[in-house]
Amino acid sequence: MAIHEKTLIDPDRILQHDHLVIDGVDVSGSWNTMITPRTLTDYEEHFEEIIQSYSGGENVHRCWQCGSCTNSCTMYAQNVDFNPRYWIYLIRLGLKAELMKDKDIIWQCVSCNKCTNICPKDVRPEGVMKATAHWLEENGLTPKTLSTHFDEEFTHQCIEFGRIEDTEVMVGFFKRSGQPLVQAWIVEFGKRLTKHMPLGQLTKMGMNVVFRPKTKSWGKTGEVLAEYVKAQKEAAHHG
Amino acid sequence: MSAQDTVLVVGAGPAGLSAAATIASMGKKAVIVEKEDILGGAPIISGYAKLVPSGEWAKDAIGRMVSRVEGDGNISIHKSAKVTQVAGEAGNFTATLSNGDKVEAGAIILGTGFTHFDSINKPEWGFGTYEDVLTTTQMEQMVTAGQIRCPSDGRVPERVAILLCVGSRDRQIGREWCSKICCTVSTNLAMEIKEISPSTDVFIYYMDIRTFGLYEDKFYWKSQEEFKTKFVKARIAEVTKSPDGRLLVKGEDTLVKRPIVIPMDIVVHAIGMDPNALNPEISRTFGIGLEKHGFIDRAEQYTNSQGTTRKGIYVCGAATGPEDIDSSIAQGQAAGARAVADLYGQQKIAS
Ligand SMILES: Cc1cc2nc3c(=O)[nH]c(=O)nc-3n(C[C@H](O)[C@H](O)[C@H](O)COP(=O)(O)OP(=O)(O)OC[C@H]3O[C@@H](n4cnc5c(N)ncnc54)[C@H](O)[C@@H]3O)c2cc1C
Ligand code: SF4
Ligand code: SF4
Ligand code: SF4
Repeated sequence: MAIHEKTLIDPDRILQHDHLVIDGVDVSGSWNTMITPRTLTDYEEHFEEIIQSYSGGENVHRCWQCGSCTNSCTMYAQNVDFNPRYWIYLIRLGLKAELMKDKDIIWQCVSCNKCTNICPKDVRPEGVMKATAHWLEENGLTPKTLSTHFDEEFTHQCIEFGRIEDTEVMVGFFKRSGQPLVQAWIVEFGKRLTKHMPLGQLTKMGMNVVFRPKTKSWGKTGEVLAEYVKAQKEAAHHG
Repeated sequence: MSAQDTVLVVGAGPAGLSAAATIASMGKKAVIVEKEDILGGAPIISGYAKLVPSGEWAKDAIGRMVSRVEGDGNISIHKSAKVTQVAGEAGNFTATLSNGDKVEAGAIILGTGFTHFDSINKPEWGFGTYEDVLTTTQMEQMVTAGQIRCPSDGRVPERVAILLCVGSRDRQIGREWCSKICCTVSTNLAMEIKEISPSTDVFIYYMDIRTFGLYEDKFYWKSQEEFKTKFVKARIAEVTKSPDGRLLVKGEDTLVKRPIVIPMDIVVHAIGMDPNALNPEISRTFGIGLEKHGFIDRAEQYTNSQGTTRKGIYVCGAATGPEDIDSSIAQGQAAGARAVADLYGQQKIAS
């Protein structure tokens, strides 16, 4: 029978012997597995506060480990490694290295908020998932998500031109996220557009791409806005 | 009967009964006003089984408290009645009752107790949806009746799950207190179930076990060691029903980080103690304050520990917050003694 608890132990700490004799007693068989003890030295003292400094993570300190979030979780039902309660525990204790083992699935939270609705301490676990995913991303521990790429392109255009231009946003987004500009579905999309869209509208769109419209006398405003966004980011001073 | 000789006691649960007996034993008169048509409070009205920690049947133990006041010449009792109006002030209150009577009293004691949490407010745990989901009070009644059976079809349950903290310690439903007694009551209930039905296994799902003080070994350890009650550290997400009619309890066993879906035959909610649902009305009628959770507020903890925010009106028992019977009785005595002391004080001024 598989021992589930083994998954909690680092593989390199599990010692397995086909034949094992201790003090002259042959303990091969059921007693052939040993676990080397672990000394924890990697507590990150301020990890909890760091996660709290991200929007959504504010209440993480309230958690008392009841497990309601995990057992109601949509993603946990798909994959038992997706365990908000456990991650919150690691965040609270500052066991960052342990959390890193699951870094590639934390973003999978679908924001269904079942956890937030059931949590008796109002921890808002969904927010904690979001905060943790942002922290991972900001620190380059996970690749930028598609929505981050999109946000960045969108914000860039707002600040630069005072408005966005749909086609430009899409092109920029594809570039940033490393996707080819020519994809089957885009070609099909374009074809259908030209077929069904009124000619005037189509011309206007084409003109916009070529002569990108800009909000009048935007220059100064853009700078102020950019500065403000920068100041806000610094004020949040995530770790 | 003059105001200076009399204390009005509202509510005839363990706290109120204890206060009335104390007043009478000190040679003063007590007038009890109880809204139900029986005396004894929650343990009698809800038919509790054996009490923690004495192990005595509730009807015997609390029954003794009831007959003590019923047989006392210094105590008069109004059943099925409430106080509708209070005039006057400390030393000279006049209370009007719903039955039209008026009571003059030098002091007033509120032993108006609590209201059981209504499990309907936690729909995900199946109460009101499935017949075999019960509350601790219903399970106590089953124990009192001497038979453990599934209400749905009368079979003997193989597995019973008791879920702790139902309606307590839960921000979602605005109940941020621990009901204090339900852990101990549940470990005791597990033993009672096992005693009546030895083939039944009992599981207790907990977040913390709070069998405080001397209840630790007498209830928690004994339940675990001698009666084989199994304790699982998990708060349940939902109770559903499997096609074969058994209940399914879904959760995460947090200690082994493993999902659990366990078939159960009966699920018991260890319901908490809410503030008396009548407290807003009581607060208005008696002109007293409530604390932030809705229980009756106390003036000061140390030198007037049973005083409400209004002079001459005292409070005891579960009206002040979740309490066990022993503490309710002790508080009843304290309130009774303090109220009698007030009467003597008033007499000194009067003469
Ligand atoms: C399931 C369960 C099991 C329990 N088992 C135990 C146990 O084994 N041991 C233990 O120590 N404790 C136990 N308790 C706790 C116990 O019930 C309380 O400690 C006790 O009942 C408190 O006594 P009380 O007199 O303060 O209030 P109550 O018992 O609630 O009595 C209050 C009385 O006041 C009356 N009343 C209320 N409002 C008014 C009004 N406006 N006018 C007139 N009358 C009014 C009520 O009808 C009632 O008779 C249990 C609690 C629960 C929920
Ligand atoms: S919001 Fe995320 S963490 Fe919460 S239940 Fe849904 S998927 Fe799970
Ligand atoms: S439901 Fe809330 S309190 Fe319970 S483990 Fe999850 S976050 Fe913590
Ligand atoms: S006594 Fe136990 S079951 Fe009751 S509210 Fe407190 S912790 Fe929960």
